[in-house]
Amino acid sequence: MPYEALDFYDVDSLLTEEERMVRDMVRDFVDEDVIPKIEYACRDGVFPDEWRVALGEMGVLGAPLEGYGCSGLSYTAYGVICRELERGDSGLRSFASVQGSLAMYPIWDFGSEEQKQHYLPKMASGEWIGCFGLTEPDYGSNPGDMITKAEDMGGHYLLNGAKMWITNGTIAQVAIVWAKLDGVIRGFIVEKDDPGFSAPEMKGKHSLKASVTSELVFQDCKIPKDRLLPNVEGLRGPFSCLNNARYGISWGAVGAAQACFDSARDYSLSRIQFTHPIASYQLVQNKLSWMLREITKAQLLAYHLGQKKDAGTWIPEQISLAKMNNVDIALEIAREARDIHGANGILDEYCIMRHMANLESVKTYEGTHDIHNLILGRHITGIQAFTREL
Amino acid sequence: MTIAVLLKQVPDTTAKISVNGGRVDESAVSKWSFSPYDEYALEAALQLKEVAGGELVAITAGPARCEKLLRDAAAVGADTLVHISAENVNDLDSIQIQKLLAAAVEKSGASVIFCGKQAADTNAGSTGPGVAELIGASCVTLVSEVAADGAGYTATRPSSSGHEKVGVSAPCVFAFDKGLTEMRRPNVRGIMMAKKKPIETWSVAYLGVDIGASSVNIDSHSPPAEKPPGQKFEGAESVSTVVGKLRDEANVI
Repeated sequence: MPYEALDFYDVDSLLTEEERMVRDMVRDFVDEDVIPKIEYACRDGVFPDEWRVALGEMGVLGAPLEGYGCSGLSYTAYGVICRELERGDSGLRSFASVQGSLAMYPIWDFGSEEQKQHYLPKMASGEWIGCFGLTEPDYGSNPGDMITKAEDMGGHYLLNGAKMWITNGTIAQVAIVWAKLDGVIRGFIVEKDDPGFSAPEMKGKHSLKASVTSELVFQDCKIPKDRLLPNVEGLRGPFSCLNNARYGISWGAVGAAQACFDSARDYSLSRIQFTHPIASYQLVQNKLSWMLREITKAQLLAYHLGQKKDAGTWIPEQISLAKMNNVDIALEIAREARDIHGANGILDEYCIMRHMANLESVKTYEGTHDIHNLILGRHITGIQAFTREL
Repeated sequence: MTIAVLLKQVPDTTAKISVNGGRVDESAVSKWSFSPYDEYALEAALQLKEVAGGELVAITAGPARCEKLLRDAAAVGADTLVHISAENVNDLDSIQIQKLLAAAVEKSGASVIFCGKQAADTNAGSTGPGVAELIGASCVTLVSEVAADGAGYTATRPSSSGHEKVGVSAPCVFAFDKGLTEMRRPNVRGIMMAKKKPIETWSVAYLGVDIGASSVNIDSHSPPAEKPPGQKFEGAESVSTVVGKLRDEANVI
């Protein structure tokens, strides 16, 4: 059965013609090059290199950035790209999010002119892969207390510390690493072959299996002075990147949910039990209509946030709400879809359990579900509840 | 050199087709696409342009919805977009459409013309030979590949013993079967350029061609008859019945 993207309220009719053409391009790529290979990629635990090449050729890496070989699309178009990629797999969307929002964006916004010219064209074309090192083994939701530090040795910087849960780490040529220099968080561009830098892959994941996840280890890692991102200090740097990536996730989750809904609808119409399709039973219809309801709301949330991003009228708390809500409902939809598929739902013949397992990661990364609630709680009350004196 | 590609927008092969009042209900078509053989023609034309140079003009006839088709052609590399505005395209017969296309081809100055061997909706298969006849061009049908060979063009088509290569010189029309490569995927750069590209809309009056009256009257469309339900046989004793049916009714053994 060809994929039918649920769009109950015709939200895509609000897109520009250009945005719809970008949607069709990415959807076609996912249909032809991703869906037929994704289960093999998951079994082998690899991110197929031809996807990197195709993403670069299509021009979707760093899509909303202007200049330096980037496409300069709207943030709404970037959201649509994320949605269509994540309909294929969250690991694929993660690759694009990390490359564009977490690795290219900080160079584009906080880098020197030389850094932009050196790195961005090769990253936009996919020739160089980027990764983003913020989270550490002991500092996830609380990155401000990170241990990784940089020392100014006069002629170079010396990095020491470790990062964990780094998408693309092992396959990246370029790592944006956040470390404390004289107690202040700064961004550094680390290259694959820098002495004292290694990026071992983390194995054994039950989630995002077609995505490379790594540790970044810095042992007296020596990097030239011109690799410091000159134009940002403090947590504002990494959080600016995360705002863009989280925005993309709010769209991406819709794609995963649409894929699960599509599969559940088709399955329930063809699966006969007690001589009738299970879609004819009220309990199943209740689940399907709940999915439709939540996907429709999530689509409207993502679209309106995209318009606000493009108009420059957004606040980070609005991104928190959309990321949290849309991933939350996508995960619940995947679970319900798994239920509708019965025993068949555990097989990789269907996409749903893969999406379900992926979304467990997506719920946790880029600000956990709970942390986004605390961000909203602080916005509502003016009282931060992340930490307290015990 | 100007290369023209004649394109037709048809309901996507995955779209559900419904018939209402004896006519296909176009308003119920969820997705319109290139006719698949036209995609092969467009890709082959793009490849010829890359080798031989020149301008590629994409031409379609139909209602306003066809502009999307031209934008999609521009996104993969068409230089000029021509929309022959014909809201009543379904009331025109094949010869009338060929007259419009031929007039547009001549106006565009194209001497090498690519099209699909037939459209996925009507399957009439007459556009290539019909346009060739009207403009006095050579025509090669069922083409899978076209190469420029200095003086003219060599087209590959099937023959009774495999493949044959047919040499022609311009003006010539190539009606494409399945080609060697599928139509390329656009990229964002192409899409952004396509957005800015003007579409030239040519009315029947502007083309100044007398297309005459339609010689074909379609009484009604009807959906394909539903397939009769399958028959199920179980157990070893049914073998002779099954063999009998396969031999006498299905004629497959």
